[in-house]
Amino acid sequence: MLSAFMALTSSAFTQDLPDADNGKKLFEANCLGCHAIDKKEIGPALRGIHLRRTPEWLVQWIRNNEKFRKVTKDPDAIALYNEYNGAAMNVFENLTPVNVQEIVEYIKTAPEAPKTAVVIDAGDGTKKEDNTNLYILLTLVAILSIVLLILARVKNTLRRIAAEKNPEEYAEWLAPKKGFFEKSLPGKWGKLNPTVLTLFAIVIVSVPALYYGFEFSITEVAVQKGYAPKQPIAFSHQLHAGQLKMNCQYCHSSVEKSKQASIPALNTCMNCHKGVQLTEKYNGEISPEIKKIYTALDYNPEGKEGEQYGKNPRPVRWIRIHNLPDHAYFNHSQHVKVGKQSCQTCHGAIEKMEVVQQVNTLQMGWCIDCHRVSQVDVANNNYYKALHDKAKADIAKNNQSSKYFSADGTVKLTAAMNGGLECSKCHY
Amino acid sequence: MSNNINYWKGEDELSKSKSFVSAQKNEFHDDLPLDEIFNEESIELKANRRDFLKYFGFSVTAVALAACYKTKIRNAIPYLVEPEASVSGVANYFRSTCGACSSSCGIEVKVREGRPIKVDGSVDSPISQGGTCSVGQASILSLYDNERLANPLVNGSEQKEWALIDATVLTQLNALKSSNSKIVLLSGSIHSPSTLKSIEKFTSAFPSLEHVSYDAISYSGILDANETDFGQRVIPTYKFGEAKVIVSFAADFLGTWISPVEYSKGYTQHRQPGVKGGMSKHIQFESSLSMTGANADHRFPMRVSQEALYVASLYNYIAIANGTKQIPIPSQGELAGNAIKKTAEVLLKSQGKSIVISGSNETEIQQIINGINMLLGNYATAIDLANHSNQFKGSDKKTAEVLKGLNNGAIGGIIFYGVNPVYNHNGKEWAAGIKKAKLSISFSSSQDETAALCNFVCPDNHYLESWNDAEPRKGVYHFTQPTISNVFNTRQAQISMLTWSNALVVPEKDPFASKAILSQKFHASAFYNFMRDNWAKVLISNESFNAALEKGVLLEEPLVGIPAYEGKVDGFASYVLANSKVSGIEMILYQPVGVRDGAHGNNPWLHENPDPVSKVSWDNYIALPKSLAVALEISEGDTVNVTLGKLVYAGVPTIIQPGQANNTISMALGYGRTHAGKVGGSIDKGYNSIGVNGFAFVNNTGNRNFVIKNVEITKSDDTYNLAQTQTHHTIEGRDIIRESSFEAWKKSPNAGNDKAKTHVYTIWEKPEYRKDGAPNHLWAMAIDLNSCTGCGSCVVSCSIENNVPIVGREQVLLRREMHWIRIDRYYAFRSKEGNLTREDEIANQDKKGNHDHWQDVSVLYQPMMCQHCSNAPCETVCPVLATTHSSEGLNQMTYNRCIGTKYCGNNCPYKVRRFNWFRYNDNDAFDFNFNNPLGKMVINPDVTVRTRGVMEKCSFCVQRIQEGKLSAKRQGKSPNQVAVQTACQRACPSNAIVFGDLHNPESEVSKLYKNERGFTVLEELNIQSSVMYMTKIRNNDTI
Repeated sequence: MLSAFMALTSSAFTQDLPDADNGKKLFEANCLGCHAIDKKEIGPALRGIHLRRTPEWLVQWIRNNEKFRKVTKDPDAIALYNEYNGAAMNVFENLTPVNVQEIVEYIKTAPEAPKTAVVIDAGDGTKKEDNTNLYILLTLVAILSIVLLILARVKNTLRRIAAEKNPEEYAEWLAPKKGFFEKSLPGKWGKLNPTVLTLFAIVIVSVPALYYGFEFSITEVAVQKGYAPKQPIAFSHQLHAGQLKMNCQYCHSSVEKSKQASIPALNTCMNCHKGVQLTEKYNGEISPEIKKIYTALDYNPEGKEGEQYGKNPRPVRWIRIHNLPDHAYFNHSQHVKVGKQSCQTCHGAIEKMEVVQQVNTLQMGWCIDCHRVSQVDVANNNYYKALHDKAKADIAKNNQSSKYFSADGTVKLTAAMNGGLECSKCHY
Repeated sequence: MSNNINYWKGEDELSKSKSFVSAQKNEFHDDLPLDEIFNEESIELKANRRDFLKYFGFSVTAVALAACYKTKIRNAIPYLVEPEASVSGVANYFRSTCGACSSSCGIEVKVREGRPIKVDGSVDSPISQGGTCSVGQASILSLYDNERLANPLVNGSEQKEWALIDATVLTQLNALKSSNSKIVLLSGSIHSPSTLKSIEKFTSAFPSLEHVSYDAISYSGILDANETDFGQRVIPTYKFGEAKVIVSFAADFLGTWISPVEYSKGYTQHRQPGVKGGMSKHIQFESSLSMTGANADHRFPMRVSQEALYVASLYNYIAIANGTKQIPIPSQGELAGNAIKKTAEVLLKSQGKSIVISGSNETEIQQIINGINMLLGNYATAIDLANHSNQFKGSDKKTAEVLKGLNNGAIGGIIFYGVNPVYNHNGKEWAAGIKKAKLSISFSSSQDETAALCNFVCPDNHYLESWNDAEPRKGVYHFTQPTISNVFNTRQAQISMLTWSNALVVPEKDPFASKAILSQKFHASAFYNFMRDNWAKVLISNESFNAALEKGVLLEEPLVGIPAYEGKVDGFASYVLANSKVSGIEMILYQPVGVRDGAHGNNPWLHENPDPVSKVSWDNYIALPKSLAVALEISEGDTVNVTLGKLVYAGVPTIIQPGQANNTISMALGYGRTHAGKVGGSIDKGYNSIGVNGFAFVNNTGNRNFVIKNVEITKSDDTYNLAQTQTHHTIEGRDIIRESSFEAWKKSPNAGNDKAKTHVYTIWEKPEYRKDGAPNHLWAMAIDLNSCTGCGSCVVSCSIENNVPIVGREQVLLRREMHWIRIDRYYAFRSKEGNLTREDEIANQDKKGNHDHWQDVSVLYQPMMCQHCSNAPCETVCPVLATTHSSEGLNQMTYNRCIGTKYCGNNCPYKVRRFNWFRYNDNDAFDFNFNNPLGKMVINPDVTVRTRGVMEKCSFCVQRIQEGKLSAKRQGKSPNQVAVQTACQRACPSNAIVFGDLHNPESEVSKLYKNERGFTVLEELNIQSSVMYMTKIRNNDTI
C-alpha cells in the first residue's frame, strides 16, 4: 500500500517538474510570433505571467481562448480580449497542460533581454558571382580570332596574286600545297585518307559536344535552379525566419493541412506590422517596404485604433519561384506533416536568404533520389502500423530476405519501398 | 443459363452488317489520315529533297529556339484578408439545393479557392439521399456558361444599371396597376416558402398581378385527378422503397418522371435478391423503350393511346377480387397476352405494398390509377398523400388561359420566371401574345426563345449564386446558399420582385456586421435578409439557422393519415371506350434522360452523354419499331418526314429501336432549341440547332398530351448518321454478362454464375501486394448489375471529376468519345415462353415477315471502365512504360511518359482506353468549356488536363485515393479508416457502384467480393481484373 503510494507520488513529482528547455522550444515555436518576454508586441509582455494569472487560467486561455471567453465566459478573459480591441489570440489545442506549464517555467527563468533596442539588420543580400567581365573577354577573344582568320586569308590571297604575277620569283609559293592533315600530322598519319580523317575529327569533337549538350539540356533547360527574382515587397526570410526566429508556419499556415504551403494573406503581416514600423531606422518615417503592405491593404497608419482597411486595396503580385509542371502533383502536408521533412530539405537554408531563390532543380530525378533514402516514420503513425508490425515480425524471424529492415535489425523503410516511386503517386 | 442468351448491342451487330464487321476489326476508327495530308497539293512531300531539307532544317531550328524560351513569370496573388475556414488547396463543402429542375434534390457543393467545381447529392436529404442525376451533375457547367447574360437587357440592348431598369419597370408596372390591367407572373413550379412569400409581396403590391405555374413537362393529369379524388391538387410521395410490386404505365420514373433520383434510391432498396423480404417485382407497360422499361422484370408493349383500356381492365380485375363496382366496359380478355390479368393477380398478392403509376397526363386515367391504388390499399404505405410532393404544381388549363388572355388583350403585362413557353408551348401564339402585351419581362439568365421577345430581361442568378429555400415534400425543407459571388451582373429574381414591390427587408442588426473586411461590410444579399426574416419564427437564433444551413435540410415530423377518397371511376366507361379504338401511327414525345425538357440545351456534357437506351448522343431522332422500318424500307442512316396536319418535319433521322411497340414511333423532346447558345443552337449567333423541336407537335388545349395520334410518316431521300456509341468498343459476344432469375437464385445463390472456372496456366506469380496480409491497400470495385439502372449520372460525374474533354458529334461518329466510364447496354430477345430465342430462329421469323419479337426485348446494363487488371495486357505492350502497375492494385497511366503508340488500346480486352486525337483545350475546333476562360473554371485542379497524343483511361479516381490516404496519415488513422469514394460511386442514384480496399476485411467491397453472384469479366484470360460484377437477377419467373 505504502509503496504504491510512494510510486504514485514519485511519478507525480517527476511529472510536476516542468521542463524549461522544452518550454523554450515551445515558446519559440508557438508564442514568439506575437509575444516577447519583456516587451509588449501584438500580445502583452509575458514576464511575470505566473504572478498575474493562475496556472489553470493560463491553461484554459492558451489552449482555447475562444471557448474560454464564449463558453466559460471568464470575466478576466473577456476583459483581456477587449483590452486588445478584440484581436483574438490563436487557439493552441495542440499544447497539453504540461506544455503550458513548461512554457510558463521558461518565461520564469528566461534571461533579461539586452537593454539596447533590437536593430533589425536588413543585410546586404546574398552575393551572386558576377560573370560579366568573363563574357566580355570571351567575346573579345572570339572577335579577334575572326579578325586573325580574315587577315590570314587576305595574306594568302595577296601571296597568290603576287606569285601569279612573278612566277619565277615566288615559285615555291605556287608549288602544290600539302593538305591540312599532311602538314599537321606527323609521319604516315598524315598520309591517311583525308575524308576518313575528317570524319574521325568530327566524331572526336561532336561526341563530347553532344554529351555536354544533352547534359545541359536536361539539367539546365527549363530548370530554374538559382532563380531569385526581385519580389514586389523586399520581404526578408533572413530577417524574419533567421534573426527573429519566427516559426515558418506562422505565415505559411497551411503547410500541414494543404497541398500548398500558401503565401500568407496580408493581414497576417499586419498582426505585427500594425505596430512594427521601423520608424527609428528611417528617420521617423515608416519603412518603405512596410508602407507597401499598407498601400496594398489601403491602411491608414495615422487612422484611429481599430480602424479597418480602406476601399482601394491592391493585392500583391508575388513572383512564384518554385514552379512544378502541371502534370506533377506535390502536396506539402504529405511531406511536412506526414514525412516530417523540414522546409530546408527542399527550399535550402531559407532562413539565411535575403532574397529567396530556388536551390534545388525540382526535377523528377531529384525527387526520386530523396524518396529512395528518406525514412518513413512507421513507428509513430498508426497509419503505418501494419507495415511496422510486418517489419518487426520479419526482424523477429530474422528473415534476411525482408526488405523492411536493415542488417542492424532496425526498421528501415524508405518512401521508395512503400510505393514512393510509383507513377500515380505524383502524376494523375 | 447465361450461355444460351444471345446478347447484342444494336441492330447492325445482330445482322452482322458489313460496316459493323469491318469496323469491329479495328480498335480505332481509321488510321492516321497520312494519305490525305500527303496528297494535298500544298505540301507535295514526294518529290523534293530540298524541300525536305528545308522543312527538316526549319523544324530543328524551331525546336532548338523553342527550347531556349525564357521562363514565363508566374505570379502568386494571395488574399489580402483570408476568409475564415478557407485554406488554399483544400476543398470546402457546402450543402445546398439543386436548381437544375424543380425536384430540388439536396446537394453538396465542392468549392475550391472560391469556385464550385462539383455537385453531389447530400446524404441528409430525403429527396436525393446522396445521389444525383446526370442533369444535376452537369448543372454546374451552366454556372460557367458564356451564354448567360452579363447584364440586364432593355429591348435587346444591355443596361448595366439595375436602378435604371427598376425605375422604368416600376413606372410601367404602376401604369398597369392604375389602369387595372391584368399582369401575369408565369413561373415554373415553385415550392420555396421564401420565394412564394416574395411573390405574395409582389401580388399585394400589384393587386392585378396573378401568379400562374406552368411546367414544360406537365403533370396536370395527376394533380387534377388528386384534386377531384382527394381535394388536394398535389402529387403524392411515392415510396418505391416500400413497394414489393411496381406497375408502371409508361412512366419513366427512374429516368425522368417527377423525382427520378428519389425514386431510384427507393427502387433499388428492393432490387437485390438477397434483400430482406425478397426482391421486388417491376412490371412496365409502354410503347417506347424507356430506361425504366429497360430495368423492368416484365415489360409489355402497349399502344399508349390504348392506355385507358389497359388501366380500366386492371381496375376491373382488382375490383372483381375486392367485390367492388367495376367500370362497365366489355371484358378485354386477351389484352396484351393476358398480361393485365396476371398483373392484377400479382398486385392482389401484395396489397398495400405496391405502387401503380401512369405517365399519362389525362385526368381520367390518373383517376382510375388512384382507384386502383385505393382498392389495393397502397395509400397507407407506399403512396403518401399526407406528406405529399410539391415538386410540380403547374396547371395546363391556367397556362392556356394566360395565352388566350395575352392574345385577346385581357392581359397587359407578362412576367416569365424560369419558363420558356415560346420554345416548349405553342411558340407562335406566345410570340404574338408577348408582342401585344404592354410590358413583358423575363427573368431568364440567358437570351432564350421567350426572353428574346421580351422588353426587359432581368437575368436571374444561377442557383449556385443564390440564397433560397425549398419544400420539395411537405415538411422537408432544403436550403440553398451561394457558393460563389455573382459571375455576371445578375440579380436574383426574388430580389427584383421585392425591389419592385418595395418589400426588401433591412434587418435591425446586420448579421455580418462583426465580420467586416476591408471596411466594406459583408452585405448580406437582400434575399438572405428576407429569407432569414421568413424563418425567424422557426429558426429563432442565428446559431439554429446556421446549423440548418450547414445541414442543408430541416425536417418536420411527418404527418400521418390518408385524406378521404371521394373518387368515382365507374362513370369513365364511355371515356375508356372512346379511347380504346386505335388507328394509324402514334408518336410518343418523351423527355430524354440527358437534356430532359431542353432547359439545359446548352450544356455539352448532357449532349455528349449517350442516351441510356439508344446510345445516341448529340441528336434526337424518330425511334421506329422494326415492323414499321421494314414496311417503310428504312435502314440505318435513312431519314423520314413526319407530318401532323400542317406541321411537317422533313429529314428527321431514325433508329430502329428494339422494344418499340408496333405502330408507334417516339421522339425525344428538349432538342431543336433556337436560342440556347453556342452548343445547343442559336439563330442569332449562327449556330445550328441540335435536332428538332418535338414540342411543336403537342396539343396545348386541355391537359397537354404528349401522345400524338395519327402521325404520317414517309421515307425521305436524305440520309443522316447519328452519333451512336452503342456498338463502339464492343466486345464481340464473349461471356461478359451473366444473368439469372430470382427463382433460380433462391435455389442456388450462384445461379447464372455457375460456369466452371477455366483452368489457367500462368507464368505470372501472384504479386506480393495482392497476397493476403500485405500491408498496403488493394483497391477494387464491385458493381451490382441488379442496381444499375443505366442512367448515366456516373458518366457525367466522372467527366467533371477527371477533366474529361467533350469531343462533339463528329468525333463521336469517328468513335473517339473520351468518356472514361461507359454504360454498355445489351439487348436480348425474349419469347413468350420466357426462354430466349436463338439467333437462327430470329432470322427465320424476320424472313417470314413477323417482327413481333422485336417489341419484346430484355435489356441489361453494364458500366464498363478500366478494370485495373492485375495482369494487365496494356502494361506489357507499352514500349515506354507509360502504363504500369502500382502496389495498391492500380493500373497507372502516366501521361507525360506516353508517346501515343496506342498499343495499349489495341491490347485492352475491355476497350476502355481513350486516345487524345487532338488537343481538346484551347482549340477552336472543340469550342466547348475547355476553350474559354470562364468554362475552364470548372476544371478540377487536382487532375492534369491531357494534351494531344496521349492515352488516358479510368484511374479509379486516384486523386481521391491519394487525398483519402493523406488525410488518414495526417490524422494517424489506420488504413482501414481511409474513406474513398470514386466520382461514379458518389453520383450513383442507385448505389450500384461500391469502391474500397480489399485488404480491409470490414470494407463493403470485401464483403461483396465474397458474394456468390460475383464474377469478373473475361476471367478466362487470367488478367485478374479488379472490378467485380454481380450477376443480374431478374424477378421474371412467374406472371
